[in-house]
Amino acid sequence: MLIRIQGGRVVDPTAGRDGVGDVWVEDGRVVAPSERTPDRTVDATGCVVMAGGVEVHSHIAGGNVITSRLLLPDLYVSETAPNGHPFAHAGGAAAWIGAAYAKMGYTTAVEPAMPPTHALATQLELADIPLLDRGALAVMGNDDQLLQLLRDGESKDAIRDLVALNVAQSRALGVKCINAGGASAFKDGVLKLSLDDEIPVYGLSTRKIMGSLLDAVEEIGVPHPLHVHCNNLGLPGADDSFVETLEAAEGRRIHFAHAQFYAYGAADPANPGTGGFRSAARRIVDAMHANPHATLDIGQVVFGQTVTVSMDILRQFGGRKGANPKKWVLNAGDAEGGGVVPFLYKPRGPTSSLQWAIGLEIMLLSNEPERTILTTDHPNGGPFTAYPRIIHLLMDKEERDREIATLPKVVHERSSLPEIEREYSFSEIAELTRSGPAKLLGLADRGHLRDGARADIAVYREDKNRTAMFASAKLVLKDGVAIVEDGEIVNWHVGRSLSLVVESDKAMERRTDAYLQDRFGQGLDSFTVPDAAFPEAEVFEDVACRA
Amino acid sequence: MTAWVKGDATDAEGAIAAAAALLAAAHAPVFAGLNADVAAIRAAYRLAGTIGASLDTQGAAGTYADLGALARVGAMTTTPAEARGRADVALVVGAKPEASALVAALRGGKPVRGRAAGADRQVLSVGGASAETLPSDLALLRAYAKGHLKDESPLNGIARALYAAQYGVVLYDPAELGELGVEMLQGLVRDVNEVTRCFALSLGDSDQDRAVVQVSAWTTGQAPRTGFGRKVPEHDPWRFDAVRQVSAGEADAALWLSSLPAARPDWLGALPSIAIVGEGSPEAVPGTAEIVIAVGVPGASAGGVLWNEGRAALTYRPGAGGGPSAADVLARIEHHIAGKDS
Repeated sequence: MLIRIQGGRVVDPTAGRDGVGDVWVEDGRVVAPSERTPDRTVDATGCVVMAGGVEVHSHIAGGNVITSRLLLPDLYVSETAPNGHPFAHAGGAAAWIGAAYAKMGYTTAVEPAMPPTHALATQLELADIPLLDRGALAVMGNDDQLLQLLRDGESKDAIRDLVALNVAQSRALGVKCINAGGASAFKDGVLKLSLDDEIPVYGLSTRKIMGSLLDAVEEIGVPHPLHVHCNNLGLPGADDSFVETLEAAEGRRIHFAHAQFYAYGAADPANPGTGGFRSAARRIVDAMHANPHATLDIGQVVFGQTVTVSMDILRQFGGRKGANPKKWVLNAGDAEGGGVVPFLYKPRGPTSSLQWAIGLEIMLLSNEPERTILTTDHPNGGPFTAYPRIIHLLMDKEERDREIATLPKVVHERSSLPEIEREYSFSEIAELTRSGPAKLLGLADRGHLRDGARADIAVYREDKNRTAMFASAKLVLKDGVAIVEDGEIVNWHVGRSLSLVVESDKAMERRTDAYLQDRFGQGLDSFTVPDAAFPEAEVFEDVACRA
Repeated sequence: MTAWVKGDATDAEGAIAAAAALLAAAHAPVFAGLNADVAAIRAAYRLAGTIGASLDTQGAAGTYADLGALARVGAMTTTPAEARGRADVALVVGAKPEASALVAALRGGKPVRGRAAGADRQVLSVGGASAETLPSDLALLRAYAKGHLKDESPLNGIARALYAAQYGVVLYDPAELGELGVEMLQGLVRDVNEVTRCFALSLGDSDQDRAVVQVSAWTTGQAPRTGFGRKVPEHDPWRFDAVRQVSAGEADAALWLSSLPAARPDWLGALPSIAIVGEGSPEAVPGTAEIVIAVGVPGASAGGVLWNEGRAALTYRPGAGGGPSAADVLARIEHHIAGKDS
């Protein structure tokens, strides 16, 4: 079917495009303008046309997300399903997640924390998220097998082979490390860990573990750089951890998850534990400008009730007494496990207001939105459904001032947000939410509207109220199929799970099988993610490694 | 395919059409058992969502003891492999866990990972003598651990051992302990963590409830028991208890899904019912229900994803050569009711 999206303001920063024009689609791809009569013409007059949104860091599947639903059955509200998908109105469910993203014009989403020991459960859950292409990052950095190899001084090749095997076996799209060594250290009694602190038993450090993973990811040719969750998340002085970690990358590609939670300078450096924090957004942004090999996503805070889910069990244990309501789960799992701690970002509270300001500040100070990707670290900073509101605040200084006027004075005293005049353009929003994340994931077929792009396209009615504009797309195409019309799902199209094609080394397979047999009483075959495990056919789509 | 309708052998199509007719005529059908692979559980949720049925599970007593305590006070947990690998102190709570392979393995081994590696392992027990005094024994133990009681009782020795441990694990059977007992146990574990590491480990039955909990959570956003009677998934452990619904006369049809071995519930004969059971099982006989459909047994005569108790994870188990999968039968019933095929 030939589709012409006609007369909209087409915004594609990767092609320097921002002006009224057409976008043509055929066979699921963006194509050059055609002489033929289109089968469907979409009148996009008065609309903005962008590539579909791409999410790089949102907790949408896996054991900790499951636990969060069990711990807080009342976090979401389910509504009566009028028709269509039986579960799309079930708050927090997989179908609800797919529908909520699609209505905002997002067409790809990545779960950043898949434990290789539970890859099958995570992949089964992801496969039940309709409308989107999905993917997951394999988490490494705390597992005994890896730490043993490092402790024993095994070769870089051995580390590479083990990482490749984990990616292949779990069918991941990339690799993440979460407070590398922190979960292991926590199980051995440690309650605070910085980059060069010793991990008990193994004599390693976060620097050493992360460095080995940075190398392995490059050697394998994983398109997405190592996705790093640093030490000391959320603590005053965490900006030091961020900058030290960036320096420890020594020029290698690195992605920083939810940077907002590290942009906390100790307000009283002599007493970091008691003096609270002030914005370190400027420091973080300067460090990023000086290190073009690095990227970050924000982890913007949203006021209101949420639940934090993280495999950083050391940090979640440390934060357990701030649980609101006062209940929490900590699973000391087979490598990382997970911590699930409910949290209320108090509306107009001093701490949450400063956190809110810092996230916006990082985005507004950044010269390069493509390396400054919008996330809320859903649900940790707040729900991803807040993106339209966040975009509104970035694009509209007056709107920002109205919100700041309701907040305590600490926002003025400890952040520079109120002084920032900048307003994001549509092109910059596209960089922040489309081209940036797609490039980061190494998915060249999306995040833009050039010929040959996957026809994942969002059409928004131009509206000064950017919240309304981005909350409910006029039209969303996924693979060239109209899935959303006037903000409602019209076709329960099923996307694919993006999975990296990696050859695993046979010798490492045998070695790992023996290791797993010894530790679990079960071998590698109990950890695999075979096609036959999936109720529906054709779940996965291959993504190639870098040449 | 082996199937019977009202005692008479029939083919797949006949049984599926009869099952669809039975469910379509019902106002408040209940699905029970759900002792099957993930694809079948998922198909059962889809069918229930379509027709407004409610769902209950095989191992509900234990599942709700854990889930109820979890939703009220949270939990601190570990895994079987971590318990075997790291624990220098294991506390067995109640009598039931004594029968588990894990407790036997703990008694026969030492920690090999982490800071306790190479140390001797102490395996202690509390409350195994009497189900009646189990809750109070546990409460007393927590009181000693908190320092509220201080005399030299054996319980005080156990409390001290937990504090002295480098990695303690507290094992229990949630069905034996009950919801309040689990809550007390999690409180004890939390208290000990003010000083050292200590984690709980729930040893359930071998049915597929843990798989159901996951599928239910990602499918509906909520734990099971779930009802779809109002076209919206509602989680209500009391209302959607299948036994209660049947005995109260609220349910007017039942579908029992058990492609893995389980005893037939005795209430199944009390109302119009469908049984989807594993081929070759004692339940795969005409008298089990009004409509009986025998299906492949996951992990044996059919492939399927099952809860893997040894690893506390979902695992694909291959299998071949059997009848249709339970998921396929359920999907065909759903299509039949929706009029998508004949």
